[in-house]
Amino acid sequence: MMKEYEYIRFLLNKYWNCETSVEEEKQLQNFFSGKDIPEDLQKYAPLFKDYKESQLSIRLGNDFVKRLEAAIHQKEKEKQYITIRIFAPVLKIAASILIMVTLGIGIYFLANENKKPYFAETYNDPKAAIKDATYALEKLSEALQKGEEASKETFNELKNLNIDWTALDSMDVETESEAMIEPNEKENL
Amino acid sequence: MKNIVFLFLFIFTTASFAGGDFITEFLNTCVEAKMPVNNVNIGRPMLEKMASNTNDEEVKKTFQNLNSIRIITTENKKDARHYFKKANELIADKFSDYEEVVSVNDKNTKINVLMKNKDNKNQDIIFIGLDDEGKLTIINIAGKIDFHAISKLSDSLNKEMDAEEDPSKEDKPTVSKQQE
Repeated sequence: MMKEYEYIRFLLNKYWNCETSVEEEKQLQNFFSGKDIPEDLQKYAPLFKDYKESQLSIRLGNDFVKRLEAAIHQKEKEKQYITIRIFAPVLKIAASILIMVTLGIGIYFLANENKKPYFAETYNDPKAAIKDATYALEKLSEALQKGEEASKETFNELKNLNIDWTALDSMDVETESEAMIEPNEKENL
Repeated sequence: MKNIVFLFLFIFTTASFAGGDFITEFLNTCVEAKMPVNNVNIGRPMLEKMASNTNDEEVKKTFQNLNSIRIITTENKKDARHYFKKANELIADKFSDYEEVVSVNDKNTKINVLMKNKDNKNQDIIFIGLDDEGKLTIINIAGKIDFHAISKLSDSLNKEMDAEEDPSKEDKPTVSKQQE
């Protein structure tokens, strides 16, 4: 027995020096799969035992389910990413339209707001306000009347000049027809 | 895409800071603290009250159709000349889309009346007048404005004034000094 242990220790030394043959490694695996392992060699047992078991049987790891779920989620994520990539241009257009519509509505309401007079009322009493309103409308009325009078005066002055408007109109027609003929003549030349 | 967003943001920002009628713009950009002006603002609620207080159908209709009347006056001759110039500069600068309706340029009186059609129903009128006493009057009237009716309003308004007030009052308006 002691000899066997000595031999195992010898093989272990060879193993650490990477000098063992396949046959010698099998001997080590067989020894460590057994029960009579001295205390000082027990620490190496898992190394050769697990290796032998993994060679003998293919079994599912404890974290197999977790790894499987992770793999499935990864695929889902990839799918989502692909979906986003396909719809990216559409989303961009939709976002642009949304921004434009929002701004459009904002500008519309702002423009409407600007139509409303933005100032503080001077008076609370309509009787007091009517005086200034009257003054403003009167001033405007006078200005319009002045404009009207000036127009009438200009019209009367023109009337008194005794201008033959029909002759002036016919001059215009003649000038236009001459202008039309001239390019044609140039073309003929 | 980015350009479109920036364009809209620019329009939005411009629209936010633009807007504002002539009187607001004039008060904000032209009026100096050392040269104060009188400002009177009459909004739609007050115009409606005024319309309900009058018996004259023509005046009532005119008030009902208006949205606001805003007036700026100054009786200081030097300030009046300065602000008359400033007002016309402001028109050329920021209100060039207004059409000239009446322009009087006498030796002592200078009047400019400009108008803009805001939409089919609403107009905006700017009156800038420097009278023979050197008094400046700037008026901004907004709403549905019937020029024909307004040009004939003088008589009706005078009757209205006689009915509303005692006849001893003078023609000048009592304007309260009020900034926005």
